[in-house]
Amino acid sequence: VVELLTTDGLWLRGSSGARVVVSRSFADFTPQATFEIKKCDLHRLEDGPPLEAELTRDQALQYYRTMQTVRRMELKADQLYKQKIIRGFCHLYDGQEACAVGIEAAITPSDHLITSYRAHGYTYTRGVSVKAILAELTGRKGGVAKGKGGSMHMYGHHFYGGNGIVGAQVPLGAGIALACQYQGNNQICVTLYGDGAANQGQLFESFNMAALWKLPCIFICENNKYGMGTSVERASACTDYYKRGDYIPGIKVDGMDVLCVREATKFAADYCRAGKGPIVMELETYRYHGHSMSDPGVSYRTREEIQEVRSKSDPISLLKDRMLSSNMASVEELKEIDIAIRKEVEDAAQFATLDPEPSLEELCSHIYQNSPPLEVRGTHPWAKLKSSY
Amino acid sequence: MSTAGDSRGVLRVARIPARVTLALQPLVLCRLASQLHNPIKVQMPALSPTMEEGNIVKWLKKEGEAVAAGDALCDIETDKAVVTLESNDDGVLAKILIEEGSRNVRLGTPIALLVEEGQDWKQVEIPPPDAPVPPATHAAAAPVAPPAAPSPPPLPKPTTSGPLRLSPAARHILDTHGLDPKLATPTGPRGLITKEDALNLLKKSPALEATPVMAAPPAPSAAPRLAAAPPPPGSRPNIPPLSVPGKPGAPGTFTEIPASNVRRVIAQKLTQLKTTIPHAYASVDCDMAAVMQLRSDLAKEQIKVSVNDFIIKAAAVTLKEMPEVNVTWSGDGPHELDSIHISIAVATDNGLITPIIKDAANKGVQEISANAKALAQKAQDGKLLPEEYEGGSFSIFNLGMFGVIGFSAVINPPQACILAVGTARSELRLREEDQTLQTQQLMTVTLSSDGRLVDDGLASRFLDKFRVNLEQPQHMALA
Repeated sequence: VVELLTTDGLWLRGSSGARVVVSRSFADFTPQATFEIKKCDLHRLEDGPPLEAELTRDQALQYYRTMQTVRRMELKADQLYKQKIIRGFCHLYDGQEACAVGIEAAITPSDHLITSYRAHGYTYTRGVSVKAILAELTGRKGGVAKGKGGSMHMYGHHFYGGNGIVGAQVPLGAGIALACQYQGNNQICVTLYGDGAANQGQLFESFNMAALWKLPCIFICENNKYGMGTSVERASACTDYYKRGDYIPGIKVDGMDVLCVREATKFAADYCRAGKGPIVMELETYRYHGHSMSDPGVSYRTREEIQEVRSKSDPISLLKDRMLSSNMASVEELKEIDIAIRKEVEDAAQFATLDPEPSLEELCSHIYQNSPPLEVRGTHPWAKLKSSY
Repeated sequence: MSTAGDSRGVLRVARIPARVTLALQPLVLCRLASQLHNPIKVQMPALSPTMEEGNIVKWLKKEGEAVAAGDALCDIETDKAVVTLESNDDGVLAKILIEEGSRNVRLGTPIALLVEEGQDWKQVEIPPPDAPVPPATHAAAAPVAPPAAPSPPPLPKPTTSGPLRLSPAARHILDTHGLDPKLATPTGPRGLITKEDALNLLKKSPALEATPVMAAPPAPSAAPRLAAAPPPPGSRPNIPPLSVPGKPGAPGTFTEIPASNVRRVIAQKLTQLKTTIPHAYASVDCDMAAVMQLRSDLAKEQIKVSVNDFIIKAAAVTLKEMPEVNVTWSGDGPHELDSIHISIAVATDNGLITPIIKDAANKGVQEISANAKALAQKAQDGKLLPEEYEGGSFSIFNLGMFGVIGFSAVINPPQACILAVGTARSELRLREEDQTLQTQQLMTVTLSSDGRLVDDGLASRFLDKFRVNLEQPQHMALA
């Protein structure tokens, strides 16, 4: 049931029955609306995130733009990979955009974030341009890591990658939170991992230390139901990942709804900043592609399942429907945004394809953060290479 | 609350279902003209890391059918398996450019066009097939009809502006032949000069092949080489062309000789029996002194027999003494034969033929010799009758005339054994009795036996008896 409090009928019916629009100004749109969001399951918490979220038009457009950019960027990466312009590892994030955008909406750029190898979305939300991301995937010198890192080694401001080893980033994230606490700068660290990594031992070691010293760390499990090809039922004895922190409080969040993610992360960030210690969040989400580009993604799940999620819970569609039904934006406006984003991604892909690769002089540079040129051992002890800096 | 003229307001929503139907939205049918004619190209993807081209097995959508992101578009056969290609975009399948059943479609070739929903898919512009395919299309600013004869900027070839890119095999070929890489036309990805390009350049410059290779330094490239060593001067001349390590059979380094039917059948049979029959091998050295002596004595009486005839006789006699070796494989067990027919292997131009000397144990060496000569002649002329080469219980294969010291032969089924005979070679031996040196004429024979019928133990005993018979030919009088 929708109550429209404004009625500005500018739609005319033409003589042939076709509907024609006379130009609508942006002043006709609703500037702000409140939406109901799903209640989150709680573990060791009395109160949870609120049940309603306020969304302004600007915020909505920004979230839509970001999610759509991530989606198109990932699809473009898929296309480039299939043309063998991107090689090596490529783990795509489409379907999970609401997690990255929702989290970013709830924290500040001075907060820290670290995640696993499915990192392209987070690289973008943390401020790296699509051009730099795609050029890094194709291994050119315009890439964010100068073409030397590839898909799993992209870094940005207060963004620590991009980590290839499963679950290795969680102790690092706890360490970053320790630094925040030590430096007393009121920043928090968001540490992400997947349902496959949730059973790794070092996570529980990190939980222990974080809880013991009350580190300002939000541990977020992005549960996309499959660890590579293994479904969570076949991998974990306990699939309530938000409860796995045991003595650490936990929240279970609908990861396909960007507002739900935002509110839950805001709640968690406030909790950490208040000095109450770490908190665990589980984002229930879904990935449309396979685990990586070498996985077709349909040998352990049916195409119907993927199509069902796409039609019922696609994060971009959910936000779009909310915006349209509450009259926050029009179909054409969103289409224009789509077209602009497509162009941006195409241009970035063009750049990524044509940019030259880093030159061989760069082979040994950037080993240390700050060092004069040094001699580096080559492929055997008698081969010596020189680093430029 | 707001008045009618007030266009601002706050919307309160009681409940939003997961997917709100489009009926609630204001329906607007006016679209931007620039969107109409930019079809999305679906290109042939690399569905496996080693795939260069694929075959389209079946289209799962028809022209005009709506396609949603994630829908299966077509089945593509890669070098490994049949994989389904999914669409990444929503839209309508406007045109199938490559029909199903097409084979060897290269990576990157456009195979279909998708347009957005609501557009007239019948009017889609089909890009010309030979236009280079850059990923950029100019969307919003493009006029309604995109240029029919497009000249989108082709990908600039790095050879003109960037460093030369050579594959390692190409570099090796060009270095050894002293060719200039700049003359090669690159066809690999991103301007790579592949081995095929290098070989094409080689073919085009045959004059260079005849000259000995001088130390031509490789063409300068912008990127400095970490270990640049020009080929040493005076390396081997280029006839025949050098093969590339790892790829010995590169085009230009071999000629194909088509196999005749006989060769083909021999090849097939040999493979089959070498793999299905468990071969057991045993070797022994025989002292040929007595045989040589006997032979020369007979020669004085104008009786010409060869060493091989003695070997045949010795084998036949041994088989008579050990009938358990004179067996054939009858499908599930040994089948003892009651006569001893020895096959001798004769090498002809068409391959190996094994004519049979029948009842060898009951024939004298002279008769054996005459038989063998006649059969060999017939074999060379190709006039052997089937009963002259089918059957037989034991084969003897002598390569001594080629100087071969020892070898092992492949059994002729259904026989149980084949004896491979080498040449008689001189060896020094220390005589026990008086500690003097003596030359011996030793000859190595190797028995290959079917392990199911004649195992190593039986074969060893056979060989021992055979050796005794051969070293002391007088034993053959006892048989």
